[in-house]
Amino acid sequence: MMRSPFTIALAGLALSACSQTDPQQTTSAALTEGVLVPGYSSWVETNRQLASSGAAFCADQQDLATARQAFLGAQSAWAGLQPMLVGPMGEGNLSWQVQFWPDKKNLVARQVTALLNKTPQVTPAILDKSSVVVQGLTAYEYVLYDTSIDLNDPAQKARYCPLLTAIGDHQQALSTHVLEQWQAEDGISAQLKTFPNERYAEPTEAIAELLRTQVTAIDGLKKKLGTPMGRQSKGTPQPYQAEAWRSNASMSNVSATLAGAEKIWHGANNDGIQALLGDDNKALKDKIDAAYAETRAQLATLQRPLSEMLKDEQGRKSLNDFYETLNILHRLHEGELARTLGIQLGFNANDGD
Amino acid sequence: MKRRAFLGLGGLALAATAMGGWTLIHNGPQPLLVSARNNADGKHYAVGYTLDGNEVFATQVNERCHDVVPHPQLPMALFVGRRPSTESYLIDTRTGELLQTLTSPAQRHFYGHGAFHADGQWLYATENDTSEPGRGVISAYRLQGKQLIRDHELSTHGVGPHQLLWLPDNETLVVANGGIRTEAESRVEMNLDSMEPSLVLLKRDGTLISKEQLPERMNSIRHLAIAADGTIVSGQQYMGEVTDKAPLVAIKRPGEAFQPFPLGEEQRLVMHQYTASVAINSELRLLAMTAPRGNRVFIWDLDTGAVRLDAALPDCAGVGAVEQGFVVSSGQGRCRLYDCRQPKIAVQPLQLPAGLWDNHLRLA
Repeated sequence: MMRSPFTIALAGLALSACSQTDPQQTTSAALTEGVLVPGYSSWVETNRQLASSGAAFCADQQDLATARQAFLGAQSAWAGLQPMLVGPMGEGNLSWQVQFWPDKKNLVARQVTALLNKTPQVTPAILDKSSVVVQGLTAYEYVLYDTSIDLNDPAQKARYCPLLTAIGDHQQALSTHVLEQWQAEDGISAQLKTFPNERYAEPTEAIAELLRTQVTAIDGLKKKLGTPMGRQSKGTPQPYQAEAWRSNASMSNVSATLAGAEKIWHGANNDGIQALLGDDNKALKDKIDAAYAETRAQLATLQRPLSEMLKDEQGRKSLNDFYETLNILHRLHEGELARTLGIQLGFNANDGD
Repeated sequence: MKRRAFLGLGGLALAATAMGGWTLIHNGPQPLLVSARNNADGKHYAVGYTLDGNEVFATQVNERCHDVVPHPQLPMALFVGRRPSTESYLIDTRTGELLQTLTSPAQRHFYGHGAFHADGQWLYATENDTSEPGRGVISAYRLQGKQLIRDHELSTHGVGPHQLLWLPDNETLVVANGGIRTEAESRVEMNLDSMEPSLVLLKRDGTLISKEQLPERMNSIRHLAIAADGTIVSGQQYMGEVTDKAPLVAIKRPGEAFQPFPLGEEQRLVMHQYTASVAINSELRLLAMTAPRGNRVFIWDLDTGAVRLDAALPDCAGVGAVEQGFVVSSGQGRCRLYDCRQPKIAVQPLQLPAGLWDNHLRLA
């Protein structure tokens, strides 16, 4: 139903809050320069290495162990980027193109097989038009690690190599494009530094998005661990529902994501989110510092691969203890920190109504 | 419908006769934005703001509300309880006075949506018959003075109804049957493997006119917008796999079948199988939709399907048509006005309080 004409007074929305000295603007800009752009840049670099590794491996100029190292580098950079998925990477289906998780029905195995049966010579152009399931690291991991594939057998290597090199190219192109979008004149990097802009009405909105993305990533870790631990399946462990189970990198991915989250908190020069807490909130700041330290300490004791830990009582207990520290860290951010900063994390997205 | 035109024609006479005791007071030159909103402590409020940021009322209510149904002539609105709430709140939109707490009877709960008939004397709300969980009910309430009196029930001819609206003939009800069975005091889906979503048109006496379905059974039809020419648009929430390609927006043009709205693959993907509010600006022939899982607001040309806007807005929530285009609220940031009168849509943040806005908004 439409009402009669009216005019809206839009006079200088919080203009005073947009001066250079606004602490939230300072923090958003510092995180952009000190953490986010460097994070995306090193992700691009690991994808450049992935692409060149794939090509070298397929030209028999690199062994499988080295190719796996390049893969683990790209996968770890991606895990570290999770708390920084604001802007283009957090939108659309781009993140699926990098990694397909959760893969409840082992789609990656089925779709890689189907693709190669249909198109033995996969090219980057063909891959671009294929399902997200086969475009990213999950498919790359399947080829490099799945026990059904023997890359020492020349025939099998010849079958899977076009896909490996196409994925390497795809990841390199995608990450490069995303970094370009970040650094474009009116790109997300600029939008996180100068307000108001098309995306953010004021610095608070940028800080809210940074915090929400970080909190979502920490919450995501609980899902990434909770699912294989059986928290959604009446306590029955589900090792094949873990992220990166084939490469046994589930726990190192968790570690990388936590490190990324901590960078958002600390910033490159103690100028991250923590800088927004004044002296009167020192107790909260100390609590969050301690929670990060505790998760790191707990994680350091979990030296075995996730799939092994899930098999015995002691392993499951250690995982549960670690899960609890993650939970504390998550709640501190989502609750006390958000409240203290006066930030709404939103509630409509998972509403189901 | 142009409200002022309507007021000029029948509203005053009606108010003077059938609704004695009320004085018609205009909200001034601006529409009133009404919505459910939380405060920072999670308490629930029914609120009304003018678009330049003046709080007209903020009334605390027991339960979280979902949609708001402004009365077509009188300064009152029903804030409808969110599923599975058994309470809705009739509020005086000048003062925020709680006129009535509407309680659903035993074995019924609200689904968050309702619609006043254009004559202003009847309100229709979607409800769940929990004695036969999911059986869609439309309850008709008669307005008597400042109270809504439950009068009779109609069937939605479907399961798990959500939004309902009137066609411009004011005699045909359109219901989005979400197709999901839920039980009393629960939000847990009971029948994801046998969902029956449908778009139903029925007469005011309950007679079924048409019942149409989309091919994908797990594609829950949730929200509706209707243009002045009778074009119906629905927004879906797909309950199947994240990789399935389900039409998340659908359209039924007058005299045509209910069918997918032509959605770019990029737009469909960014929605993450979930749409929230839809609104149509009939004068500008534009369709707007919020997709809070993708944190994006979309505006399309209703006739050509061309994308006019695809913009980031974290935790975007309600959307409503205004003269310039659309107003959109957010659970996280500031509300926005999208001025669509020029080829390039201009976005302006509004001076309303930021964040905590719930799913839907209406302009009364």
